[in-house]
Amino acid sequence: MSSNAAREFLRRAAEKSADLNHRQIIRRSVDHYDAAVRAGRSRFADWEAARERCHEIKRDALNNLEHYLREFEQRIQERGGHVFWAENSAEACEYITQLAVSRGVGKVVKSKSMVAEEIHLGPALENAGIEDVDTDLGEFIVQLRHEPPYHIVTPAMHLTRKEIAVLFKEKLGDVESDDPQELVAAARRALRKIFFSAEMGVTGVNFLVADAGMVAITTNEGNDRLGTSLPRIHVAIAGIEKIIPRLQDLALFWPVLATAGTGQPITCYNTLIGGPRQSNEVDGPEEFHVVLLDNGRSELLADTEQREVLSCIRCGACLNACPVYRTIGGHAYGTTYSGPIGSVLTPHLRGLNEFQHLSYASSLCGACTDACPVKIDLHHHLLENRRDAVQHASRPLMERIGFKVWRWTMQSRVRFELAGRLTRAAIRVATAAHLNGTALDPAGLWSQKHGPLPSPKKSFRALWGKLDGAK
Amino acid sequence: MAQSNGASRERILTRVRAALRERPTAAEPVPPPRMIFPPVVDALDRFRKECVTNITECVVTPDLRATGVAVKEALLSIPLGEIFIQDSPQLHSVAEQFAKDREIQWSSEGRPKEHSQATITACEALVAQTGSVLVSAACGGRGASVVAPVHIVVATIEQLVPDLDAALAAVQSRGAVSANSYLCLVTGSSRTADIEKILVMGAHGPRRLIVFLSLA
Repeated sequence: MSSNAAREFLRRAAEKSADLNHRQIIRRSVDHYDAAVRAGRSRFADWEAARERCHEIKRDALNNLEHYLREFEQRIQERGGHVFWAENSAEACEYITQLAVSRGVGKVVKSKSMVAEEIHLGPALENAGIEDVDTDLGEFIVQLRHEPPYHIVTPAMHLTRKEIAVLFKEKLGDVESDDPQELVAAARRALRKIFFSAEMGVTGVNFLVADAGMVAITTNEGNDRLGTSLPRIHVAIAGIEKIIPRLQDLALFWPVLATAGTGQPITCYNTLIGGPRQSNEVDGPEEFHVVLLDNGRSELLADTEQREVLSCIRCGACLNACPVYRTIGGHAYGTTYSGPIGSVLTPHLRGLNEFQHLSYASSLCGACTDACPVKIDLHHHLLENRRDAVQHASRPLMERIGFKVWRWTMQSRVRFELAGRLTRAAIRVATAAHLNGTALDPAGLWSQKHGPLPSPKKSFRALWGKLDGAK
Repeated sequence: MAQSNGASRERILTRVRAALRERPTAAEPVPPPRMIFPPVVDALDRFRKECVTNITECVVTPDLRATGVAVKEALLSIPLGEIFIQDSPQLHSVAEQFAKDREIQWSSEGRPKEHSQATITACEALVAQTGSVLVSAACGGRGASVVAPVHIVVATIEQLVPDLDAALAAVQSRGAVSANSYLCLVTGSSRTADIEKILVMGAHGPRRLIVFLSLA
């Protein structure tokens, strides 16, 4: 039986792929990205060598994960920071919410964090009566629309300036035109007030740097910097897999993340934070907390075939490369992580049975694997998930019977030829009787969404025999 | 000393340990290292070129005195109001040039205010490879390089390093990583392309980044 998530996915995918306006918006954005990345890669002497090196560093990090996590924790504590280990979303949300409540926090500013989305921190804070404002411009926009982010790197990619202007006029008031300059200025004015009045800043983390004992956060806008400088508490949330061994690894990862993410040589702000304000420092929060989240990651680590999926640096390159993502967009997936990486990861984080359909949201063309800057073999992992779903999760009864019948048929030449003849005849009859796409059409599932299947009189083998004889 | 929560921590680390002990990753041969980035030949030339690309204003001066004069001139284009300056002997000498014309707040007097017009700081290093400025909490604090609409950096030529690798190695070896709770590699000024991929400067942080690089 297909899950609710699968049915919803198919419904939204059909809707979005037929929305030509939506497709044009994605295409413009992705074309822009493609050109920038081509230029960005040309700044490397050897992009392939960079990918291989990143892959090796992350493999080392994962192979020695416990060692590096302990090293990281110790350094953070030495500077007076707190490290909280959360087994799942509920524990992470509870810790952060409790912290906010116990410190009398009324307003939280968030910087773009996919992990905060993953654990649904926003609703948890709001339930505790705490105002929660996303400060990345794209996230600020989708939050005003009560939508999830559309893309890992470009959350409001699906919206035009006109739509954003209408939204700002309604929610912020002081907007006169749809000039992006003006829209950004309006958001800056609104968010500045919020930054200076918030008591807690919550950020994601791009890298946990073990030997430095610091979290590395990357943004172009600088919202993370305001959110970690002005409020009196800073909470950084990270999956345990975000670890890298050495500070110097960033000399490679920062340019690679920027190039794969947007095509930039390096992102504007690459911030490193290792603790609260120290006694000799001018400013900074009084408290610094790092939440290390497991939430299914340690189980994925035990899967030798797919362990490397934990090397992902969330650059979004595989989304932009994917012909499925480019057609249906980010919201159709209905998951925190969309695109190829989301399709690989979600069954591990949220259950193979309910999310096995995502393994089929791929043409297996391998564009994602080619685009991945840390060389994750994404399309093969989709295939492995399909295999695991057949072996361990439930597949529909009709599919299982169908494959048994198909197998039995294929094992005899007589049965195979007979079945071919009957099927071709049935398709011809169905087409003649205008029954295409109904239950009586053997190619019904195909014909529901496509033109009728032409049905030749002779089989491929018969045609091949004739061709062979003509030689 | 800060505490960790025990039970969840132990369960997570136990699972991690079990995952790796029972099923380690097969060792893969490590290929010989290849050159990843083209080497930086002329650091000053490269830094200036990268500044043009990432929209940083770079002004090269013969010495710190000349930097003071140049900073004074640059401040003419900045509206009246508070200038926040990192409290250091070097920047005191730079500020002598304009101390009587402008309202100054030193970093020793507290963090920059919301209405600061510009901040002036030193830096830990300049990176030629990317045209970046590496600052730390010691450079006037966290807010110094992000709150005001203009960030002015006063640097000297010996702070210029060829690439990121050298910059990170340098700060780590001289103890600036363990001594600071905060470091930031700043490249150009704040920007966003979140609306239709159109580049807009000054999203949350400074609209202008100006580096005064003195050769002596």
